[in-house]
Amino acid sequence: MKSIIVFCMVFMPVLALFSATAFAEDQNERLNKLEESLKSQQQTIEQQQKTIDTLKTQANQKSDQSPPATASTPSSPKASGLFGGSTFTNPNISLILDAFYYASNLTNDELANRGIPGFTTQGLDQRNGFNLDSAELFIFSPVDPYSNLYVNIPFTEDGVSIEEAYVVTTSLPAGWQIKGGKFKSNFSRLDSQHPHAWDFWDIALPYRAFLGGEGLGGEKGVQVTYLPVLPFYTQIGIEVLQGENDLLFGQSAQEGPHAFTLCVKSSFDTSDYSTIYFGPSVLFGKTDNTNILPGMEVRANSALYGIEAVWKWKPNSREALTIQSEYLLLTQSGNTMDPTTHAVIDPLRRMQDGFYVQGIYRKNRWGVGARYDVLDLFYDTFKQGGVQQNFGGTPNRTTASVEFNPTEFTRIRLQLAHDLSDPSGRTNNEAILQFNFGIGAHPAHSF
Amino acid sequence: MRKTFLLFALSLALTTPAFAGINVVATLPWIGSAAKEIGKDKINVTVFAKPNQDAHYLEAKPSMILAARKADIIMYNGLDLEIGYLPLIIESSKNPKLMPGKIGNFDCSQFVSVVEKPTTVDRSMGDVHPLGNPHYHFSPSRVLRVAEGIARLLADAEKGNASYYEANYKAFAERLHEKEKQWRTASLQGKKFVAYHKYFEYLAAEFGFQFIGYLEPKPGIPPSAAHIEGLIETMKKEKPTAILVTPAYGMQEAESLSVKTGVKVIVLPHDVGSMDGTTDLISFWDKIFTSIDMIKN
Repeated sequence: MKSIIVFCMVFMPVLALFSATAFAEDQNERLNKLEESLKSQQQTIEQQQKTIDTLKTQANQKSDQSPPATASTPSSPKASGLFGGSTFTNPNISLILDAFYYASNLTNDELANRGIPGFTTQGLDQRNGFNLDSAELFIFSPVDPYSNLYVNIPFTEDGVSIEEAYVVTTSLPAGWQIKGGKFKSNFSRLDSQHPHAWDFWDIALPYRAFLGGEGLGGEKGVQVTYLPVLPFYTQIGIEVLQGENDLLFGQSAQEGPHAFTLCVKSSFDTSDYSTIYFGPSVLFGKTDNTNILPGMEVRANSALYGIEAVWKWKPNSREALTIQSEYLLLTQSGNTMDPTTHAVIDPLRRMQDGFYVQGIYRKNRWGVGARYDVLDLFYDTFKQGGVQQNFGGTPNRTTASVEFNPTEFTRIRLQLAHDLSDPSGRTNNEAILQFNFGIGAHPAHSF
Repeated sequence: MRKTFLLFALSLALTTPAFAGINVVATLPWIGSAAKEIGKDKINVTVFAKPNQDAHYLEAKPSMILAARKADIIMYNGLDLEIGYLPLIIESSKNPKLMPGKIGNFDCSQFVSVVEKPTTVDRSMGDVHPLGNPHYHFSPSRVLRVAEGIARLLADAEKGNASYYEANYKAFAERLHEKEKQWRTASLQGKKFVAYHKYFEYLAAEFGFQFIGYLEPKPGIPPSAAHIEGLIETMKKEKPTAILVTPAYGMQEAESLSVKTGVKVIVLPHDVGSMDGTTDLISFWDKIFTSIDMIKN
């Protein structure tokens, strides 16, 4: 039932758009009228052009006599660029360092093997002691009057990768925008944000369970968004993605793009100082990887539905309360297979969900936050060969954090978590002291 | 299905702007106020920042993006003051009219001569604006130049009303000059002040007073105990007239410094509407000068 509601929320606006085409009967008549009005407009334009030309000659004659008023303005330091005036010839460059100290009651071996039974066999990357997550290089600049280019290159101890490299159009007809390249999908909320913009050190449990510890991450593809003029903000977007996430899809999932998303994001101000932001999104694709069940390949059709809701209260510039929650529902149907021979072992049917709610209160330089994550909240179907599997309980986690932000470029965060994501295994009680430093010109974060 | 479509069509019909006039969005209240002085009822103005919000720490809300989507012109302070949210709003608005280089992208600072433009700057100096002090709206003469620019812009955008905008500008300039005579009597020449943030540099430059220190050791960095002690020493020697502060930024610290030094605090509006009786630009400056003037008695 809930999945139907999710589904309806996603498609209602889209169906409404398409239904407009049903009214094609009177199109011919309208076209004729349009042609007529076009002709008369052309005449008007020609007349106006004549006026402009005469005015231009007049203006040129005038400017010979007296300089225009702006020229008399002393040393105008016009910050002309979209992203400000600090750099004119070079693109904007920033580097964000993310380092942390990690302490857990689990050993490094246990951390490396700590998956979520029934969801993922992928372990945790962090080790007890000092960790260097990454130094992320961001480069962005307008390409020309038609697009802006953004590149995000994280340097890690394992090497260098291109997490994002995409262009965004800036001069399509009003309301339309195309993003192309490798980018963070608009599917759900945490996926579209940079990890350093998250309110907690790590990603929420439902994401880890369905998409992996980094979320969906950068995906290659094309995104088209449309922002209609409605009484409140509503953006509709579709994406075609290559589909390479190694938990939901897998490199070998299919040749060519096979993942599709549909996202609607709405928002309105609930008062002068508070805003609500919400929307459904859905992600379809083909799954083929060995990261879901130990020693087995899963080949399936998958759909991940999400609903996000954020409420932010900012009574003044130095105080803010943010409540955020998301619900993810996965349906997956296919087969488990032998990873080497690719012989089908059993049919697999999954319908599992996950939910988190978090709140963070920031005042001046300080912030405190709390988060609760849970999986298998309403649905826990995991049928191998028609038999429901029992993984020993409901994975969940409770997190608390305190952060100190001396400036907007530095964040020091202490996070404590009581992690029961492996119900049959040991509890992970962890403490993280995270350091985030940013230098250079970084693009603004969205709401 | 049919019902859905009807609802959709209805919502479109309701929201298609049926009213005439140029849609202007302004980042800050003073810019909206300046635009209103020139455009009056021929333009619709939406302002992003609420009067009690600090222009340094605004966040790009989706409602702002929607307002920008509907706008013909976006007017902003410039000098990188809005760098934390404006580029995002312009890009996300998907409105080609607002892109840099277009007539609809209006940087008010282009008409202004800037003070405190640093020759070298990095972030160890705090939140210093590399293009100079951005708070030029405290200077009536600079805002008048901006208003002149707005009049020219609106005339370009709507040729038919050019004389209307020109007349409104002239009326505004006249009122301002009248008031300025009155403000000049406040005799600020040579006076010394302490301020919380580097807000009032343009006011000081224009009316000939100076600052002997700031509560913030560096722009955007809250004061430490050691810095306050040093400031108290300076204040003992220099004997400033008052501590200048804005309602949104550093009131508590200024009050406590006042208690320690016996120097009075003057609360000044940081923008139009941020204090009672500051409904437009003229009354905003009026409030500033009457507040400072009161202290000498």
